[in-house]
Amino acid sequence: MRPSLRHVPRALRTARPASRAAAAAAAPWLQHPQPQPPSRHLSTTSPTLHTPSSSSVNATEISHFSALASSWWDPHGPSRPLHLMNPLRHDFIQACLASSPTTSPPYSNLRYLDVGCGGGIFAESAARLPTTASVTAIDPSPTILAVARAHAKRDPSLGGKKLTYLSETIESLPLPAEPADRFDVVSVFEVVEHVDYPAAFLDRVGEFVKPGGWLVLSTIARTWTSWVTTNLVAEDILGVVPKGTHDWYKYINEGELRGYFGGKGGVWGPPRVMGVVFVPGLGWREVRGSEKVGNYFLGVQRVV
Amino acid sequence: MDAAIRRRGAYVCRSCTRSLQRQLRRTYSSAAQPDIYDVVCVGGGPAGLSLLTALRASPATAHLRVALVEAQDLAKIRSWKLPPDRFSNRCSSLTPSSALFLDQIGAWKHLERDRVQAYQEMQVWDGVTGARIEFDWAGSAPAAGTTIAYMNENLNLTSGLLKRLEELGGVSVFDKAKVESIAYGEETEELDLREWPVVHLSGGKQLSARLLVGADGANSPVRSFAGIEARGWDYNRHGVVATLQIEGEGWGADHSKIAYQRFLPTGPVAMLPLPGNYSTLVWSTTPSNASLLKSLSAKDFIAMVNAAFRLTPTDLEYMHTQESGQAEEYSWRLEHTPFDYRAVPQTAMGVQEGTVASFPLKLRHADTYIAERVALIGDAAHTIHPLAGQGLNQGQGDVQSLAKTIEYAVSHGQDIGVTMSLEPYLSERYAANHLLLGVCDKLHKLYSVGSGPLVPLRSVGLSAVNALGPLKAFFMNQAAGNGIKVF
Ligand SMILES: Cc1cc2nc3c(=O)[nH]c(=O)nc-3n(C[C@H](O)[C@H](O)[C@H](O)COP(=O)(O)OP(=O)(O)OC[C@H]3O[C@@H](n4cnc5c(N)ncnc54)[C@H](O)[C@@H]3O)c2cc1C
Repeated sequence: MRPSLRHVPRALRTARPASRAAAAAAAPWLQHPQPQPPSRHLSTTSPTLHTPSSSSVNATEISHFSALASSWWDPHGPSRPLHLMNPLRHDFIQACLASSPTTSPPYSNLRYLDVGCGGGIFAESAARLPTTASVTAIDPSPTILAVARAHAKRDPSLGGKKLTYLSETIESLPLPAEPADRFDVVSVFEVVEHVDYPAAFLDRVGEFVKPGGWLVLSTIARTWTSWVTTNLVAEDILGVVPKGTHDWYKYINEGELRGYFGGKGGVWGPPRVMGVVFVPGLGWREVRGSEKVGNYFLGVQRVV
Repeated sequence: MDAAIRRRGAYVCRSCTRSLQRQLRRTYSSAAQPDIYDVVCVGGGPAGLSLLTALRASPATAHLRVALVEAQDLAKIRSWKLPPDRFSNRCSSLTPSSALFLDQIGAWKHLERDRVQAYQEMQVWDGVTGARIEFDWAGSAPAAGTTIAYMNENLNLTSGLLKRLEELGGVSVFDKAKVESIAYGEETEELDLREWPVVHLSGGKQLSARLLVGADGANSPVRSFAGIEARGWDYNRHGVVATLQIEGEGWGADHSKIAYQRFLPTGPVAMLPLPGNYSTLVWSTTPSNASLLKSLSAKDFIAMVNAAFRLTPTDLEYMHTQESGQAEEYSWRLEHTPFDYRAVPQTAMGVQEGTVASFPLKLRHADTYIAERVALIGDAAHTIHPLAGQGLNQGQGDVQSLAKTIEYAVSHGQDIGVTMSLEPYLSERYAANHLLLGVCDKLHKLYSVGSGPLVPLRSVGLSAVNALGPLKAFFMNQAAGNGIKVF
C-alpha cells in the first residue's frame, strides 16, 4: 500500500521542488489547461459561525496532523521542510514589524498568538526571542499538543509564563475584552488551506490582533503549478495521494486574500507579501513573484 | 549556582533556572546540581577562546550564558610575558583573514604587536631536485609587500584573547579544572534534560549545556563523549620546534620578511621569521632524527639546522648518524656544497635555551563536527600536517562559522544546541577543511620520496608549477586565507 499524502505534513504536500515547478510551468500542454482553476470567493458568512459549537476545524484534518505527532520534531522526518521554513517566518515578521513606524525596532515585550501551532515549531522559536513577552499557542488536536508540551520541557528557557499551549480553536478561545490586551502578532502558518470557511475564520482571527498589531499568515496559491504538482503529479501520476483529495480547491490565492483584507473597510493596512520556493539541497528561499504560483507569506497591520 | 543565576538577561531565563534549582533540590536534596548554560566550551586554546570572545562581542549573542572549562591555569596565560629578545617555541602563522576576524572581535589590539611578525615572501623548494616554487606576489597578485601571513606565538594570541574576554566579562571560567566525565541530564517533573550533556569537573562541579563545544584539542574528550570517530593516520614523523637567533634580520631586512621551507625526504623543514633577527623552526622528521636533534648541544643543533637548508639529503642523513660533532662536520661539508646563499635563510647563530621540543604529527578528521547539543572546533575536529601552517587558521575559520551559525539561530529563535541549528556550520566547514587536509597530506607524501620514478616527475612538476602555478595559487590563497576559492 502506498503511503497516503494525508499522512505527510502539509508543508511537504505543498512544498514543491523549484525545478519541478519550473518544469511544470514550462510544459506546453499546460498552455491551454482544463479544467479552469475556479475562482474562490471568500464568503464572509458560514452556516455555523458564532454558534457555541462552531469551529473552523475540519475533523479529517485534525486526525491527519495527530498521526504525525511522533515525528514532528524529528529533524530528518517528514516535518523537515517545516523546520527549514521556520527562520523565514521570523524574517517575514521582522520585515512586517520594521515596515511600520508604530512597530519598528527597537521593540520588546511582544505578545504572540499562534493559531494552529502543531508541535510548536514556530511557537517555541517565537518564545525564545529576547523581544518576546509571551506566546499563546493553540491547536485543536490534544495529541499534537501533548507532543508540543513534552518538547517544550526540553528547554529550560521556555518554562514559566513565556509559552502557553491551549487546546482550543480560534472560535473557542476567549477574546480579551480590552483591545490593548490582544496580541501584537497573530500568526496563522499553513492553516487557511485546511479551513472550510476561510473568510469566517480570518474574521475571527483578526479580532485577536490589537490595533497596530500584525496578522501574519502563510499558505499556498491555487494555481496551475500547484494543481499540477500537488494534485496531478502527486495524485494521478505518482499516486502518493488518494485520488479525490480536493485540498487544492481550498488553496487561496494572494489576490483573493488582498481582496478580503481590502474589503474590510480600512481595518487593515496594505498587505506585505513574500513568495518562497523550496530549493532541494538549499531549503527555502525568497523568490520575488513566486507568491503568484506557490507558497507565500502575507502580513497585514491592524489599523484600528 | 546563585552567582550564575544572578547574571542578567540570559537565554536560559533566570526564573526557570531557579525553578529548576528548586525542583532539583526537592528531588535530590544533597547531591551537587548542574548549572545550566547555553554554551559550555571545553578547552581554552586558540579555538575555544576565540569562540567565546566572538560570542561575547556580538550583540546578538552577548546575552547567552557561557562557561569555559580549561585544565590549565588561565591567569598564568593571561599574564604571560617574555623579554623582547626571547620567544616561545610554539608559533603559528595567522593568515590575514584570521587576523581580520580577530580584529573584528576586538582581540587583535590586545596582542603584543611588536612580537608579531608579518612576512611578504615565501621560498619553497625541493631538497632532492632543487626545484623551487617562488611565493612572492608577482603578476596579477596583490602588490609586492602584501602580507602573506603573520608569525605569532600561540601564547601571545591566547593571552590577548584572555585580555579581551576579561574586558568583555560575562564568562563563567572554570580553569585548573579537568573534565572528569560527561553524561546526560535527568528528567524531572518540569524539565526534560535527558538530551543535555552535563560536564562533570574535577572538584564535583557540574555544568549542563544547551550546546557543548569541544575545543579541547586533538584528543578531544567531547568528541569521544559524542561518539564521533576521528579518522586518519600518524605520519611517523615528529615536528621539532625551536627559537633561533639568526645572523641578521633576513635578506629582505625588516620590510620584506621571508618564510623558507625545504622539502626533505624525511619531511619539510621550515624557518619562519620572528621580529628582529629571530626565527622559529618547524622541522618534520623521523622520530629517531627528532630525538637525536633534541639531544645535541646548541652548537651541533644549529649546525644541523643550517645543514638542513643547505646540504644534500645524503649529507644530512650521514650527520643524523653522528652522536655529536655536527658543527665540525657541517663546516667541512659546506665548503664542498655549491648553493646560492641568497636563496636560503641567513645563517642560524644560536638557539634559545629550552626551546627545542618535538610533537608527533598526525592527520585526523572527525566524521562530523556536530551531534545533538555538541559542536567540535579546531584541533578537536581536525589535525593537519603543519607543512602549510594552517592548523590554527582552520580553527579560526571554524570559530567564525560557528559563531555566525549561533548568531543566526539565536536571532531566529532556534535552540542553538539542536543539529538542525548547527547544520550550516557543518556544511560550511567540513568540505573546506577536508580539502586542505587532503592537499597537505598529499604534498607530504609526494615529497617524502627520496629516489625513484616520482622524483624526476616531481621536479618537472614543481618547475611547471612555478611557472603556471595551480599549487602555487593554492598555497598563496591558503596562506592568505582565501580558502577554497582556489578550486
Ligand atoms: C609542531 C606544530 C607546529 C604547528 N605549526 C602551526 C603553524 O605554523 N600554523 C598554524 O596555524 N598551526 C600550527 N600548528 C597547529 C596549532 O598549534 C593548532 O592547530 C592549535 O593550537 C589548535 O588550537 P585548539 O584551540 O583547537 O586546540 P589546543 O591548542 O590543543 O587547545 C586545547 C585546549 O583544551 C584543553 N583541554 C584538553 N582536554 C581537556 C580536558 N579534559 N579538560 C579541560 N581542558 C582540556 C587543553 O589544556 C588546551 O588548552 C602546529 C602544531 C604543531 C604540533
